[in-house]
Amino acid sequence: MTLLALYLLALLDGLLCGLRASMGRCAVIGKRGYYRRAAFQGVAGAQLITTLALVALLLVAATSSDRADVRADLEGAARRMLWVFVPYATLVLANLALRLVPSNDIRSATSVFMLGPLTAIRPLVMIAGVLYGIFPSRLLETRLLGMFVLLLMLSLEYALNRRADRRQEREIRRLI
Amino acid sequence: MFRSWNPSQPEITDLIVEHDPRTLERVKVRKQDVLDTFSRFSNRTAMRAVEQLPEREGFLDEKELDRHLLKVHWEMQRLAEEFYHGHRVWELLRVVIASIREAGVRETIRIVDVGCGIGYVIRWMAANIPLDKYRIELAGMDLNSTLINEANRLAGAEELPCRFLQGDAFSNGHSGHIFTSTGVIHHFRGPGLPQFLGRHEQPETQAFLHFDFQPWLLAPVGAWLFHYLRMRTAVARHDGVLSAARAHDGRTLREAAREALPEFASGIYGAKIWNTPAPRVFHTLVGLRRPLVEEFRRQLGRRRSRLGELR
Ligand SMILES: C[S@@+](CC[C@H](N)C(=O)[O-])C[C@H]1O[C@@H](n2cnc3c(N)ncnc32)[C@H](O)[C@@H]1O
Repeated sequence: MTLLALYLLALLDGLLCGLRASMGRCAVIGKRGYYRRAAFQGVAGAQLITTLALVALLLVAATSSDRADVRADLEGAARRMLWVFVPYATLVLANLALRLVPSNDIRSATSVFMLGPLTAIRPLVMIAGVLYGIFPSRLLETRLLGMFVLLLMLSLEYALNRRADRRQEREIRRLI
Repeated sequence: MFRSWNPSQPEITDLIVEHDPRTLERVKVRKQDVLDTFSRFSNRTAMRAVEQLPEREGFLDEKELDRHLLKVHWEMQRLAEEFYHGHRVWELLRVVIASIREAGVRETIRIVDVGCGIGYVIRWMAANIPLDKYRIELAGMDLNSTLINEANRLAGAEELPCRFLQGDAFSNGHSGHIFTSTGVIHHFRGPGLPQFLGRHEQPETQAFLHFDFQPWLLAPVGAWLFHYLRMRTAVARHDGVLSAARAHDGRTLREAAREALPEFASGIYGAKIWNTPAPRVFHTLVGLRRPLVEEFRRQLGRRRSRLGELR
C-alpha cells in the first residue's frame, strides 16, 4: 500500500514535470492535444523511473539473506517519505483545483503565492522527503535504494526539459 | 537582480532589434553598442545575456536573433496564459464595447492591439469570443516584422479571424475604435509617455485600455522569482524583471493621460484586489470619450468598485 502510494505520487510528479517542461514552447491558443502529449511523456518518464526502482528493489530483495527484514525496513522508509510527499502533493493539487474558480484574482494568486514557490522548492522537497525516509533506516540497502530513486526523480525534469528544448529548437529552425 | 532593477535603463529587446521608423526595414545592430549601454549601468546580468547572442562581424546575427526572439515571446505568452490575461482583457473590453454600442455606434468596432508581439491577446479573443455577435474586428500591430509574421502564422494555423500588420499602430489608415496594449506602456518614459498617449486622439477612437504590471513593494522579489522559475532564456528573465521595475505607477499614467488627452476621461482600473490594500499584479489605464463615461460605469456593474477616479 505504502509503495503503491509512492508510485502514484511519482506518476503525478512526472505528469506535472511533463507539463512544466512543455510550457512556453508552443504558442497556439488551443493546446489540449499538446498538453495531453506532454503529460503523457511525463508520466511515461516517471513510469520508467519507477520500473528501474522496482528492478533495483527486487535485486536488493533477491540478494538479501533476510527478505522480511529488508521489506520491513523499506516499508518504514517509504512510510516516512509519505509524511513529506503527501502534504506537498496535496498543496499542489489544492492550488491547481483553486484555478478552476473563474476568478482572475484567485487564479493569479495561486500562481504568485503558491504554484510558483511550490515549483521552486520541488527539488528540496524531494531531497528532504527521501532523507527523512532513509535516515532512520537500519539497512544500507534501503539507503542506497532511496538515494538511487532520488537521483532518478531529480533528473526527470531535467531530462524532459532537454528533450522539449531540442524539439523546440528544431521547430524554430524550421520556422526561421 | 538588483542591476536589473534600475528603471532608467532600456530592456535588452529594446536594443537588439531596431527598425528604420520610416521604412520599417530592420537596421543592423552592433553588439558592442548594446554591451556598452549596459556597461554604463554596470548591469552584468544584461551583459552576460547579450554576450551569449550570436554575432557576425561585430553585428548581431539577425536570423539567430529572430529565432531567439521567438523563443522569448513564446515564453512571454506562457506567462500571459498562466495569468489568464485573455480573460482579463476581455472582461474589461466587453464593458467598453457595450458602452460604445449604447452610445449609438452601429458599425463594426475595430480593436487594435498596439505592440501586439506575437498577438496572444488578439488571438485569444479571436478563438474564444463570437466576433459576429459583438460586431467587432480584431487587429494587432507591431513594428517588429518577425513577431508579426509569427502572429500571422499562429493565427493561420488555427484559422482565427484576426489580422496582424507590421507598422505604427497610430499611423494613417490603421486607426481603431479601441486601442489596447499589454506590457507596452512602460516603454514610453518621460515626455515620451504623454506623446504616446496623445496619439490616441483620432476621430474614430472612442477608448483605450493599456494593461501593464503594477509597481508595488514586493514586485521586485515577485518578478524576480517568477521570471526565474518560468522563463528559460536569459533575455526573457532579464527583461521580465526590468519591465516590472520600469512599470509606471497609476498616478504617472493617469496624469500623463489627462494632460495628453483632455477629450478623454482617464483613470486606473483594477489596482486593488477586492477593495483591500492588496495590489493586483496588473493594472489598467482606461480612457474613454467623455460621453461614454456614465454608461461605462453602469455597465461595469459590481465591478464598478475596481474603477479609480475617471476624469
Ligand atoms: C514588450 S513588447 C510587447 C509585448 C506584447 N504586447 C506581449 O504582451 O507579449 C513591446 C512592443 O511594442 C511595439 N511597439 C511600440 N510602439 C509601437 C507602435 N507605435 N505601434 C506598433 N507597435 C509598437 C514594439 O515593436 C515591441 O515589439
